[in-house]
Amino acid sequence: MKNWKKIATGTALVAGLAAVGAAWMAVKTFDTSRSAVADDTVPLAQFRSTDQAAIVRGEYVMRLGDCAACHKADFAGGYKIDTPFGSLLTSNITPDTQTGIGAMTERDFFNAVRQGIGSHGLLYPAMPYTAYTKFNDRDMHDLWAYLSTIAPVNKPIDENAGMHFPYNVRLAMAGWDMLFFDNTPFIADVTQGKDWNRGKYLTDGPAHCGTCHTPRNLLGGERSSAYLQGGRLGAWYAPDITPNPLTGIGHWSVDTLTTYLKTGSDDVAVAAGPMAEAVEHSFQYYQVDDLDAIGSYLKSLPASAAQPGQPMTPNAQRMKAAALTYEVNCSACHGLEGEGIQGMVTAFAGNRRMLTDDPTNLLHAMLMGARAPHTEARQTAAGMPSFAWKMNDQQVAEILNYVRNSWGNAAVEVKPEQVAALRGELGAHQKLAVPEPVSVK
Amino acid sequence: MNRREALFSLGTIAASLAVAPGLGAVELKGVPHDTQLSDDHMPQPAIRSGGFLVLSEAERRTLGALYDRLLPADEYGPSATEAGCLEFIDSQLAGHYGAGKALYLEGPIRPESELQLMGTAQFLASPLERYRSGLAALEAYAQRVDGQHLADLPAERIDALLGEMEAGRLDLGQAINSKGLFELLLQNVREGYLADPMYGGNRNMAGWKMIGFPGARYDYRPYIDRRGENLRLIPVSLIPAD
Repeated sequence: MKNWKKIATGTALVAGLAAVGAAWMAVKTFDTSRSAVADDTVPLAQFRSTDQAAIVRGEYVMRLGDCAACHKADFAGGYKIDTPFGSLLTSNITPDTQTGIGAMTERDFFNAVRQGIGSHGLLYPAMPYTAYTKFNDRDMHDLWAYLSTIAPVNKPIDENAGMHFPYNVRLAMAGWDMLFFDNTPFIADVTQGKDWNRGKYLTDGPAHCGTCHTPRNLLGGERSSAYLQGGRLGAWYAPDITPNPLTGIGHWSVDTLTTYLKTGSDDVAVAAGPMAEAVEHSFQYYQVDDLDAIGSYLKSLPASAAQPGQPMTPNAQRMKAAALTYEVNCSACHGLEGEGIQGMVTAFAGNRRMLTDDPTNLLHAMLMGARAPHTEARQTAAGMPSFAWKMNDQQVAEILNYVRNSWGNAAVEVKPEQVAALRGELGAHQKLAVPEPVSVK
Repeated sequence: MNRREALFSLGTIAASLAVAPGLGAVELKGVPHDTQLSDDHMPQPAIRSGGFLVLSEAERRTLGALYDRLLPADEYGPSATEAGCLEFIDSQLAGHYGAGKALYLEGPIRPESELQLMGTAQFLASPLERYRSGLAALEAYAQRVDGQHLADLPAERIDALLGEMEAGRLDLGQAINSKGLFELLLQNVREGYLADPMYGGNRNMAGWKMIGFPGARYDYRPYIDRRGENLRLIPVSLIPAD
C-alpha cells in the first residue's frame, strides 16, 4: 500500500510538473505579443494600401518567401501537399471575406504567418511558419500592403479534409508546436557583419532553406543538431548545404551558388524537383546581393561531419555494357563524356551532387523524369524523360552506377532494391513486358 | 503545279505573311514539371504468353508458307517465320490494327472510283477479316486446283501463285481482291521483319542486322565524320530485353 501511495504521489508530482511545464511552453509558444505592432481594426477586405513603395517591397517579400509556390499564382490556394499524415490543401489567401483572409486584420495576419495561428484554428507546419517566424515587422507590414492589392477570389478550400485522424484536428498542432516550434524573432548577431546577418535572416526566415535541407525527426520536427545537413524529403533528397567539401557546398564559390539560385544551373548541376520549383517561383526573383548574402552565410557555417561511403568497385564487363546503354539513351543530352549541356542539362563528369550516398534524386529523375526550372536567364526548361517503362530495376541501377563511376567519378553502389523501393513509392511505371528473346535456330 | 497555280500559291503566302505579325508570340509560362509518360503514349509491345491470340494453326501454316516465300531464309538472314513475323502479325491482328480502328469501314464503296482516286483498292473489311477470308480462299484454291494444302505445295508453285496475286490475275472469288491481299501480306511481312523486336517480329534484330539499321538510337553525332566505313553499330531495341 505504501509503495502504491508513493508511486501515486510521485506520478501526481510529475504530472503536476509536466502540466506546469506544458503551461509554460504553451504560454511561450503561443505568446502573440510580437504581433501587437500591427493594426487590429481594419480587415484586409476593407484595406487598400496607398504606400506604393511598401507594395513594391511587399511583392519582393512575397517572392522571398515563395508564397505563390503553394498558394498558387492567384493566391487562391488549393495546391495539394502530401504528408505522411494525410494530404493538405493550401488555403486561399486572397482578400475574399468568405473564402479567403479578407476578414483578417494585419495583426491576425502576423499571428498566422509568424506563429501558425490561423483564423479558423492552428495552421499545419506544412506552412513554414516555423521559418517565417523570423520575418521582421517591416517585411510583414510590406507583405500585408502587397496582399491588399491582390484581387479577391471566391474559392472555398477545405484545407485539412484529406488529413487522417487525429491529424485532422487542428488543435493537435498545439502539441506539435510546443515540441518543435521556436517562437522567437530573428536576432542579429552583433559579432557578424551586415551581409552575414542578412544571409542568415534570409536563409532561416523567408527562404526557409531548413524546411527541406534540415533533416526531420519522426514527428516531422526539424533536427536542429543537423542544421542544413540534408535529408530525405518525400521522394526527393535535399542535399547537405553546409560547406562540407565532399557532401556539401564546400567546393562551390559564392558566385556559383548565386548563379545556381538565380538561373537554376551553375553550368554543371541543374536544379530539379522541389528545388527547381523554388528557383522558378522564388530564387530567380532574389536580388543578386541577397543571393550573395545567402551564399556567404552558408559558406560561413561549420561543415557537417558527413563522410561519403566507400565507392563501389565497378565490374569492367558491366561497365562496357552500360556504356552502350548510356550512349543510346543518355549521351544525346548528357554528352558522350558526361559533359551535359551548359546551363541546360546536368553534367555527370565532375558533378559531386550526383555522387551522394543517397541516390534518391537520380532514381527519381530516371523513374519519373524531371524538368529544369524555367527562369528568365534559362528559358529552355529542358525536360528529362522517364525511363521507368523501358528499364527494369537492375538496368536503372546499372546505368546510374555507370555515370557515378565514370569520368573520374566514384560513388557507392546503387542497388536494384533501392530502385524497386522508389518505383513502388512513386507509383512509377513498371518496365513494359516485351517478347522473350529466342535463340537462333 | 502549273504556272497559274504557282502564282496563286505565292499570293496565298504573301497574304499569310501580312496577317502573321498581328498574331505575336505567346510566352510559355508555367511549363509543366511532370515529364512522366501517360499510358496512352506508351508503346504496346506484343503480348506473348506462349500461344497465338487470333490465328488458328491452319491459318498459321498457310500464312507461314506464303510469308517464307516473300522473305525466305538465305545467307543474309532467317526467314520471315524464323524472324517471328507470324507472332508479329498475330499480335497486330489481335489489337487495334486488326480491328481496323484507324480505318473508315463504312460504305458506300465503288471499287473503280476508289482505285482511281486513292491509287489503291479500298475495303470495308478489317485487316483481321481480310486475313481470315483471304487465307481460307487461298487454301481452298490450292485444294481445288492442286489437290493439296497450300503449305505443302513446292516453293515454285507458291511463288507462281504469289506472282498471279501480285498481277491481280488470281481468281479467289468475288469477295477477295487477290492483288489487295498480296499487298497486305507483303506490307505486313516487311513490318514484322523490320519493326522493333518488342512487337514480336525482327527476332534477335535479324531484320536490322540484314539491312545494317542500328535501331532505336538517338544520336549519331559521334559517328557523323566517319564516312565510307562500316561502323558495325550494335542494333538496339526501344525496350531492351532484361
